[in-house]
Amino acid sequence: MSLRLDVTIMSGVDDGLRLTYSAENGDGAQEDGCWKVSIGRREDSDMCLRNDTFVSRQHAYLIWEDGRWWLQDCDSTNGSFLETDDVDAKVKGTIPIDFGALFRIGHTWMRIDVTG
Amino acid sequence: MSAILLRDIQIYARQSAIQLRHYYVGVEHLFLALLQIQGGIAATTFEAQGIKTQQLVEAVRKRMGKPAAQRLWVGVPDTPRTEIVLDIARDVALDGDLKEVTERELLYAILTERDNLPARVMSKMGVDLDKLAQIVLNHETMNEALPPDIAIIQSAEFNSGQPLHREQQFMLRRMFPDHSAIRVERRLTGFSSALVLVVTPIRPEGGEDAPIVVKIDHTDSILDEYNRYQTYVKAALPLQTARLEDPPTTPDGTPLAGIKYTLVSQGVDGIPQDLRNRVSELGAAGLSRLIREQLYSEFNRTWWQQKRAFTFPVWKEYDWLLPPMLTLDYIPPDQPTPNVHLIRNPVNRAKLKLKLRELRPGDYVALENFVVQRVNMEADVVRLAAGTGSEAEKRAYKLDLRGVDHSGMNFSRGYAIERVIGQVVKTRDDLLTESLEQLEPDFSPRARWIPLDMLQIPNPLVHYGELLDRTVNGSFSRIHGDLHLGNIVIGPKEQPWLIDFSATRDGHTLFDWATLEVSLLGDVIMPQVGNTWQNARQVLVYLAAMTAQMPVTGMKTDVFIGMSAISSLREIVNECLTDPGDLMEYQIALGMCALRAITFPGMSLGGRRLMFLLSGLMLMELNQRASIQETLPADMTEVFQIPVSIPAEGAEAEPLPASPPPVDDGVIYLPPPRLPLSGDADSGTGEIPPGGR
Repeated sequence: MSLRLDVTIMSGVDDGLRLTYSAENGDGAQEDGCWKVSIGRREDSDMCLRNDTFVSRQHAYLIWEDGRWWLQDCDSTNGSFLETDDVDAKVKGTIPIDFGALFRIGHTWMRIDVTG
Repeated sequence: MSAILLRDIQIYARQSAIQLRHYYVGVEHLFLALLQIQGGIAATTFEAQGIKTQQLVEAVRKRMGKPAAQRLWVGVPDTPRTEIVLDIARDVALDGDLKEVTERELLYAILTERDNLPARVMSKMGVDLDKLAQIVLNHETMNEALPPDIAIIQSAEFNSGQPLHREQQFMLRRMFPDHSAIRVERRLTGFSSALVLVVTPIRPEGGEDAPIVVKIDHTDSILDEYNRYQTYVKAALPLQTARLEDPPTTPDGTPLAGIKYTLVSQGVDGIPQDLRNRVSELGAAGLSRLIREQLYSEFNRTWWQQKRAFTFPVWKEYDWLLPPMLTLDYIPPDQPTPNVHLIRNPVNRAKLKLKLRELRPGDYVALENFVVQRVNMEADVVRLAAGTGSEAEKRAYKLDLRGVDHSGMNFSRGYAIERVIGQVVKTRDDLLTESLEQLEPDFSPRARWIPLDMLQIPNPLVHYGELLDRTVNGSFSRIHGDLHLGNIVIGPKEQPWLIDFSATRDGHTLFDWATLEVSLLGDVIMPQVGNTWQNARQVLVYLAAMTAQMPVTGMKTDVFIGMSAISSLREIVNECLTDPGDLMEYQIALGMCALRAITFPGMSLGGRRLMFLLSGLMLMELNQRASIQETLPADMTEVFQIPVSIPAEGAEAEPLPASPPPVDDGVIYLPPPRLPLSGDADSGTGEIPPGGR
């Protein structure tokens, strides 16, 4: 199966923007059976969030491993968060993340879509 | 209430996006704008479903992004999701054979595109989005309810003037749905397109409410003013003044909208009147007291006194006052245009000045990234400028584009136009020269110097460019933005209230006072003195004397009233100066405001003539600091020491003494003197004593 990631930005000036990554096109990095897609403000990030000043240069990774997606925060200054009903939950280390769940990198909300 | 058009909602949305420092128009901004419409489809549908709109607003706001720390992109773009939602709305409008998207289609699109923030918030609240979308879709664009049967009675005073046309009557009825009749008391004048009336609403049982001021104008102007009121004015008003208590009335089927300035006061006697029409009744002491002790001291704390130091190039605050840089005829994109000159926004001033110098009528100009400031359908003119909104800097570099083809590009207010080509019809200098020629000058309109007895003052038409490029050590504060006498209304208990907040903004603190001085001179003093160039020169001498603190005697009472008000106003100016005692900041403001006023069609001929000379005088006073020795003779102390009298109407003007006015040594600009505020007003003459009090 080819590795593919569809993410939709859910807030801010890029709200509604759909981003697609695939390992075949050379996006992300493959190591030890997992696929890592980097998120940050750095130009060479796979997902470069240049419109959000609250995103660190290397902010987080989305990792495909064991048949599911994981979100890893790289000790970013402003943190990564999961949406909950009340206060957003800060991500520490690496946590599993479901399709359709909203998470926030800096001030930017996003969502992993089921690849279709 | 029936459907509001998308473009009006977009104006609201865009303004709230800027206020929140988001700098993009998201679906959430559109949604909040929909909920703001009182009695709109969104508010009524939600309330009918038991959803409290206030709760909804708070929930959406809580989830909205924080303001950007820095603005990292150009303009205020729609987000990709906004585009998606607008596409859905357009499809629905097309299916319904509607020419334009209205609140109904927009709301339906937001409810069906479920990924947007308001839809997500509503889902979380347990709202059934599908059901709601169906209700909205079935909400037939309501037929115009019959205009309520409200009688419009015209007072004797109003009856003598121009009657109200049908659309204006329709608006008035719409604005007072809970009353059985309204009596139109008087029309307030001095407004370019707006109709401003004092009306007394009458309740069904016959009781009369306190008279209020209503303004009827184009919808986007009214919505913009309301927004400005919310941003700048609402929290900064003294206890007893006019307020916009109700949101604007924006009925369907008319391009007009209306707002009411409601007076909050205990007294209800008397019909409000604008200050222009109360001057002679108030007298010198009354007028001065009203401006200084009531208007200034009551509003000062929250308005001009909130000033903060700000160094700015003059053009940023004053370029917009002048006629458009260029008047162009629209050229369709497919027409060949040889040798196109490019003017790109943001503008490089140095390059632009060179470009403007070489442009001739008939030349082609491509404009890039200018923003639509105003659309005047009747005159078929689209006004472009540097940005959107009433902030002076955004209104700089204005250009008029005639004969635009509206079917192609979107020329709605607030839209940035990527590129448009026009053919030069007139330049700013052409328009200024035309305005001057209408004043029938007794000198060459393009002469570098204008004779004023022995003295020569610089021709502002030749020299205004130098003024625009100066830098001012000044201050910014909340300003009214159009403080002429017609916008100061005297209500019950002789309280001054301000109306017309369509230009209210953060701007140069002294702008309001320069505007008021222009109004006092042009609307009060010159109509008393007369219309000749000689009359204008005489009043100019009074003004120069005031700055130089020289005595002037022999003024007619009416003139004295006005001049003493100007003296009071100059005291306020002194308090507002950034560098105490240095009038330069004010001379620039007054010079620019006066130059603008030569184009005012409503100002008397004498008033406009004085404005031209005043602008030159300000330039001279500014230049004196630098080059006094070069331009003027050394001894010029005589002119103000002899009485200057204004001849009775019809009589020949007494020739002015043949020596130029005194100037200071370029260092001292002392505060002008306080005129005697009582006693002398009725004696027929006034005197400005040397050296003040």
